[in-house]
Amino acid sequence: MSETNKLSAASRRSFIKAAGAGTAAAAFGAVSLTARAASDVKFDAEYDVVVCGGGGGGLPCALFSRWLGNRVVILEKAGSVGGTAAKAAFWYWVPNNEPMRRAGIADPKPDYMRYVARLSRPEQYDPSLPKLGLSDWEYEMCEAIYDSASPAAELLASKGALPYRHEGAVPDYWAELPEDKAPRGRVLFPKDGLPSMSDGGRVAIRTMSAAARRDGIDIKTGYRVQKVLVDETGAVIGVESLTEEGTLFRVRAKKAVIFATGGFTHDPELRKNFLHGAVYGGCAAPTNEGDFVRISSALDVQLRNMNYSWMAPISLDKAIAKDGSLSGIFTPTGDSMLYVNKYGKRVVNEKLAYNEVCAAFSEWDGAKGEYPNLTLVSIWDQQAQEHCASDDYGSLIVPKGSNDRHVLRGNTLAELAGAIRERMAKYQSALGSATLSDDFVRSLDATIKRFNGFAKTGVDQDFHRGERIVEKLFNGPVSKKADQKNETMYPLSAKGPYYAALIVAGNLDTKGGPKTNSHGQVLDTRGEPIKGLYGVGNCVASASARAYWAGGGTLGPIIAFAYRAAQSANGGQS
Amino acid sequence: MIRMANLIAIFALASSAAHAQQDSVAIGKKLTTNNCAVCHTFGKGEPNGQGPNLFGIVGKPMASEPGFKYSAGMKASASGKVWDDKLLDAWLTDTQAVAPGNAMTYFEGDEARRQKIIAYLRTLH
Repeated sequence: MSETNKLSAASRRSFIKAAGAGTAAAAFGAVSLTARAASDVKFDAEYDVVVCGGGGGGLPCALFSRWLGNRVVILEKAGSVGGTAAKAAFWYWVPNNEPMRRAGIADPKPDYMRYVARLSRPEQYDPSLPKLGLSDWEYEMCEAIYDSASPAAELLASKGALPYRHEGAVPDYWAELPEDKAPRGRVLFPKDGLPSMSDGGRVAIRTMSAAARRDGIDIKTGYRVQKVLVDETGAVIGVESLTEEGTLFRVRAKKAVIFATGGFTHDPELRKNFLHGAVYGGCAAPTNEGDFVRISSALDVQLRNMNYSWMAPISLDKAIAKDGSLSGIFTPTGDSMLYVNKYGKRVVNEKLAYNEVCAAFSEWDGAKGEYPNLTLVSIWDQQAQEHCASDDYGSLIVPKGSNDRHVLRGNTLAELAGAIRERMAKYQSALGSATLSDDFVRSLDATIKRFNGFAKTGVDQDFHRGERIVEKLFNGPVSKKADQKNETMYPLSAKGPYYAALIVAGNLDTKGGPKTNSHGQVLDTRGEPIKGLYGVGNCVASASARAYWAGGGTLGPIIAFAYRAAQSANGGQS
Repeated sequence: MIRMANLIAIFALASSAAHAQQDSVAIGKKLTTNNCAVCHTFGKGEPNGQGPNLFGIVGKPMASEPGFKYSAGMKASASGKVWDDKLLDAWLTDTQAVAPGNAMTYFEGDEARRQKIIAYLRTLH
């Protein structure tokens, strides 16, 4: 797909800093145009605001922009709108939200700031400092979430784009921390979602895309934005996209280009170079291949927070098969269930929130020179299979008839170990040839005996399973037994059959990219906004650093920044 | 001689028509993968994803894939409907117009794209 087909010779000569211009169609970057070239470029369409990406960030950006009176187009790379959010539960975490205020649930801003600062930068947190140890940028970004998430949620709801219900019982992920003065009440959920709250994404994408079409937003699917077009003053004036048919489509943006194209979860090269430890993909939309990292690399941007992602354990089998049903394991179902590493040892509290459990995978054994927990093995018995199966939230224990490609089975622990060995051998190139230790069965047997003792007393002396509020939220279905002292634990049976599944580190999505200010404006290396260029969501840097504050800690901030970006792009900042 | 030339011309035509058909199936496969593979599988016996497996979809009754849990919206609109070209075209134009409230949000305004996807779905049997 050559530029020569589209541009006059004169304007072709005028491409001065063409990052890939005129070469391969899939090249990403920016094209800087002289004044002459900019006036000569043939645009296929013109809008006030061009939103790149039609998922949980792009749809709100487009809606907010449209409601300010702009002509808006969404260019979505996939064949359908929805992105990662379509597969998500779509809880959205909105501090000091309207239902809380109506119900008289106090959520003062200073306490909210202490909670997020404490978790995002635990190594710097100092409540005696004016900004609590956060950088100016981090502090401003976290404030913006508190200030704008609720107005954003209310506007989306009042326009019928995202009616919600208040899930007042859902706790934050560290509801016990003294900094958390509003441990419940911050979570909103799409109104027509299931009682299990697992399908909010489908509902939200349905209602937001219906509102977008109702209100006259053009939605073009199968348009992959690959370049931004920059005029001689350095302002972004449009984008170039590649259609599914292989043609180029250039759009002029009179006010702004807003990127909401997701992170780099499905780009193995970026993953390997920016994330810590081995990450095997995740439940981000498959189109989240780091396009904005690559496009913005041609501009003077500051990449930030590239080292953290929104993490969740995932099934190794499904990750390798690129199975469309892949979900993060949000609910580690099963009471008579435990995780062990290749040595047959428990290494983590299985019921920790998903992002937190993932710290175990990347633990490094400096003496042995290996990741001992690169893959963990979830093991459960027949009791758990019968009573704890679920199709929701990535449960590894699934009901009969469901997709169970990840489930291994053995009548005895030795037989189960054989099946695990065989499966690990199948994936040896993905696991650095890791296999079970020679004494795995003996060690597993001892681990189960110790776990069973904890289950009987109800107290997990090693990892304190089930002692925190959030762990009960993610316990999944259980059949409560008369002698059960802790609903998250029950002794594994001395008799088979046993079941197992291999789990590895995965992402909901990454959360690093170009740094923006709190109005979504992408900043250059001097800290100045690049005129006309905005970014929202997982394609830009999150100030949350390592933290996953609560369920919906992804989407709540995203709608807040979508709201602020739309206002700023329209010439007024909130 | 003339007859021979005609014959060659006919062969050439037939073969270019076959090529065109192959190209259209190839682009149909590309579009279908881009548009549908996030949620659906296409091979015989492959597991259901977010959506049901689509092997042999053309000619099947709507919402009839065994083992798949259809949404209430889908079930409410499925009665008596069969996946033929017309229903598929309406479906791909706007799934929510065919079965309001169903779990799949998809709309493609470009008829040529819809036809290419349907042409590919027809090959899955």
